[in-house]
Amino acid sequence: MKKKYGMVIDLRKCVGCGGCDLACKTENNTADGISWGSHYTETTGVFPEVQYEHIPTLCNHCEDPPCVRVCPTQSMYVDEDGFVLHSAESCIGCQSCVLADPYGVIHYNSRKPTAKWESTKELVAGCTSSGREIQRLTKQELPHVNPDRGKTYQAVRDKGIVEKCTFCDHKTKQGQQPHCVTSCPAGARVFGDLNDSNSEASRLLQKYKSRVLKPHKGTRPKVHYIRNYGDNA
Amino acid sequence: MKVDRRKFLQISSATAAVAAVAPGTTLVSNLAHAKGKMKSVAQGEWISTVCQGCTTWCPVQAYVVEGRVTKVRGNPHSKANHGQICPRPHLAIQQMYDPDRVKTPMKRTNPKKGREEDPKFVPITWEEAIDTIADKMLELRQNSESEKFVLLRGRYSYMRDLLYGAVPKIFGSPNGISHSAICAEAEKFGSFYTEGYWGYNDFDLEHTKYVICWGADPVASNRQVPHAMSIWGHVVDNATLVTVDPRLSATAAKGKKWLPVIPGEDGALALAMAHVILTEGLWSKEFVGDFKDGQNHFAMKHEIDESMFNEVESHGVVKWWNLEVMKRTPEWAAPICGIPAEQIREVAMGFAKAAPYAISWVSPGASMQVRGGYSSMAAHALNGLVGSIDHKGGVVQGGKPPVSKTPSFKPYQDDVAKKHSKAKKIDQRGFKDFPAMKKKPGKGVVTNNTADAILQGKPYDVKVIIGYWNNFNFSCAGADRWDRALTKVPFFAHITTNIAEMTHFADIVLPAAFSMFEKNAYIKGKQNLHSYAGLQQRVVKPLWDVKMDESEVSFMLAQSLAKKGFKNLLEYYQAEFKDPETGKVPETSLEFTESALKFYTKPLWDGTKGAAKGDHIHGWNEFKRLGVWNTKRYKYKKHWGGKFKTKTKKFEFYSETLKKNLKAHAEKHHTNVDDIMKTCKYTGQGEYAFIPHHEPAYRWGDPGKYPLIFNEHRSRLNREGRSQNVPWYYELKDVDPGDVINADVAKINPITASKYGLENGDKIRITSPTGHLECTVKVWEGVRPGTVIKCYGQGHWNYGRIASADFAKKVPKGGSNNHLLPCDYDRFSGSTARHGGLTRVNIQKV
Repeated sequence: MKKKYGMVIDLRKCVGCGGCDLACKTENNTADGISWGSHYTETTGVFPEVQYEHIPTLCNHCEDPPCVRVCPTQSMYVDEDGFVLHSAESCIGCQSCVLADPYGVIHYNSRKPTAKWESTKELVAGCTSSGREIQRLTKQELPHVNPDRGKTYQAVRDKGIVEKCTFCDHKTKQGQQPHCVTSCPAGARVFGDLNDSNSEASRLLQKYKSRVLKPHKGTRPKVHYIRNYGDNA
Repeated sequence: MKVDRRKFLQISSATAAVAAVAPGTTLVSNLAHAKGKMKSVAQGEWISTVCQGCTTWCPVQAYVVEGRVTKVRGNPHSKANHGQICPRPHLAIQQMYDPDRVKTPMKRTNPKKGREEDPKFVPITWEEAIDTIADKMLELRQNSESEKFVLLRGRYSYMRDLLYGAVPKIFGSPNGISHSAICAEAEKFGSFYTEGYWGYNDFDLEHTKYVICWGADPVASNRQVPHAMSIWGHVVDNATLVTVDPRLSATAAKGKKWLPVIPGEDGALALAMAHVILTEGLWSKEFVGDFKDGQNHFAMKHEIDESMFNEVESHGVVKWWNLEVMKRTPEWAAPICGIPAEQIREVAMGFAKAAPYAISWVSPGASMQVRGGYSSMAAHALNGLVGSIDHKGGVVQGGKPPVSKTPSFKPYQDDVAKKHSKAKKIDQRGFKDFPAMKKKPGKGVVTNNTADAILQGKPYDVKVIIGYWNNFNFSCAGADRWDRALTKVPFFAHITTNIAEMTHFADIVLPAAFSMFEKNAYIKGKQNLHSYAGLQQRVVKPLWDVKMDESEVSFMLAQSLAKKGFKNLLEYYQAEFKDPETGKVPETSLEFTESALKFYTKPLWDGTKGAAKGDHIHGWNEFKRLGVWNTKRYKYKKHWGGKFKTKTKKFEFYSETLKKNLKAHAEKHHTNVDDIMKTCKYTGQGEYAFIPHHEPAYRWGDPGKYPLIFNEHRSRLNREGRSQNVPWYYELKDVDPGDVINADVAKINPITASKYGLENGDKIRITSPTGHLECTVKVWEGVRPGTVIKCYGQGHWNYGRIASADFAKKVPKGGSNNHLLPCDYDRFSGSTARHGGLTRVNIQKV
């Protein structure tokens, strides 16, 4: 059977810490202000009966991805494992995908992602450092750049193109887990083949009622959410 | 290759179920990019170290590629956090690679001090910097006033004694002044004056069935954060979680019940719960004991003859009942604490019925209040009542890693040092109004009073200060006092990574190695019923010539003092901290660091004490690789059977330990306990001084002029006050429930908002009787009407370009709560008060 890789997020286990978002930033070298892994929060009810939810988000790697449909250069594509991937080399930065994406998970680099590190300004001349000095000392445009990212994608993407979550294809295609999964301290994320009924992800979907984001958009997301965030609903 | 990929895509999207692969095959073998097709890149390795972003102090690992840190994870060898981390360690990467780091020693060239004065720092050499400090110190000795030297310590590792202990003691000053009293001493007060434990408890979350978090927010901050985060799904599935907090905290958001207590009235709520537990007959017969006739006489709600009760592991339960608990009904408590009586009853009964698999978790939120010591005792006493103390599923103490003790300073103290190190300490601990009873009266620190003592010149003037890893001008309530105090001090040297608020007043600035990635040290901690010692390591070569505060700076200072004729400190370091394996005498600051670290940790890796009490580690190199030594799992009921370290050896509901200490303090000042209670702002008189009892919340400000109650809380992204120059902090700030990205918000309830005509995003000025700040409004249901709740952390006017709105002009970004909060104390513990609605405020749109 064809593979269908997806993710199940157990909101009962999630504690809303943002560790996944930060881990993603370090793994994938995203610029300040760009988060492939993100979240939204929602507060409902009236004091003192208040409910709060934190929903982690990432590219849904949809089965019917609108971003792929609209990409004029076929830079957005679905690979043979069901990953929705992006080719940085052929992307022309038209942002059609950004407009088509109902989830806000595709990001456009309007500036050079490492631009801020090029500043030579020192707070106190000769006493404190500068971005440019750190670039020089680390011999990197982004001092903490993770070279692993570069195995399958530009390690740091160029100005003028889009970028998005790849399900950490540079790791998952070597048999490892996505970095947000291994970094989640609560064990709330499970990645696996949803077509394999024995995968842990499938078992969770069999055990619990699940939901996806914006089902009415018809995108058939492969990121599923189970259980409630709070215990007081 | 790209073309092929696209062709494949076209085919596969046209025909849905082509390319069938046998089910059950592994991810590796079937994924499109086989390993060989991937670009080859530089490989790195995981190196163990310790995060000190909060007080959990987790063993972690850094991924180091070509001498750079690229990412972090929990240390898989740690039994405490079992390889998990919270969000804080990720932020540390940007903290290390902060373009605003101080990269060289500097000196002030503008002799005028003050917030408005530009220090006009210029770079100098390490030699000049250290020699200048040594000269200033030696001047004091020459003038026979060496006690006027003060070492102000902030955050620390357990290498602390090298600097904070040895330097003042051998030099000749009593003044090693720590930050502890701005941290959580009032929390320790509660457990010490009930179960005799001056420390932070650990919690058996795995087996618990009921958790009451008193201001505690363990999935976000303080304490045992990664362990709590990793097990919280299990806790929510298996236990009832109740959170007592004026704010819907991160933990409250996960819980069954949120009890939005009126700030500072936690004690009333806890006492009413105790009342329910006793009247309903739900106390632990095994731990507390029972009436001799087997009847529940508490149910009759009248005074009881103590002889009717056989007490087992505790002391004074009937006395406590007669004096206090009897009258503290839920109906009495409801209007005081703002929680309906029915809800109090329900939680108390649920908690007691789940017991002894029950946790009453006291935190700074419920104790770092004026009079908070008694709230801390009351909430902690609930664990005693239901017998969850030291019990499976309950609240336990911790183990101690068997490290080497710091060698005695005494043989190295000359006559000057012996005499002057016995002078009174500068922080006025032990004064009549500062009992600071850490185990004994006058033994605790009163950190924040040091500023006032300096300003008063009482007990004497301070002339030379070295401060490290601290920023009291930002982190202490009544922060402006520190500006004035440090303006007054003639010479101040600051060891710091950034130009902090405190640094602004420095004469000499020494660039510190960043603890998590650039420092060699060790720490102790506990989580998940395992205590541990973790090794902090220089995982990468620092980009600049920065030095480790506790070991390197101390050694360089000792060398300079020796060069100038005072050799004792260097002699101490060189004689006592030889390499324990080779016997080599340390000659450089780096050699000293390594030999001292090996000296302290040797019992953990030499097959002796460490192997007996926990992990068996084979040698120094293995310890460096593992990065952590774990104790065996904590054994329950260690202190049952009369082994609590209280005066009675029992769990004290009537604290004979507190009675003894308070009487001693009163006698020292030729007065009585009632007078001490009044002097220290407590209302209880007579026997009440010795029991957990109700103390009304103490608030600054007239309700007419300041109608709202201000309360603060912590952020899960705060690396104490040090992550505010990190862009990711602002990008993710909404992970703190109610907070907003790229903003510093005061959260107010919609009812409060409509009364003041305020909307989301409005700019406001918050004014207290002692200060003011400006920030942004967030209208949110998760806070109690009538309160203004704001996270601590933002509002830096120094520290860096991102932390401040305008570094050059000293304009803060957002507002620091400590400019609003008055300086006040829970005087029995010496703690600085910051929670419990310490001050009333007014708000105005600006």
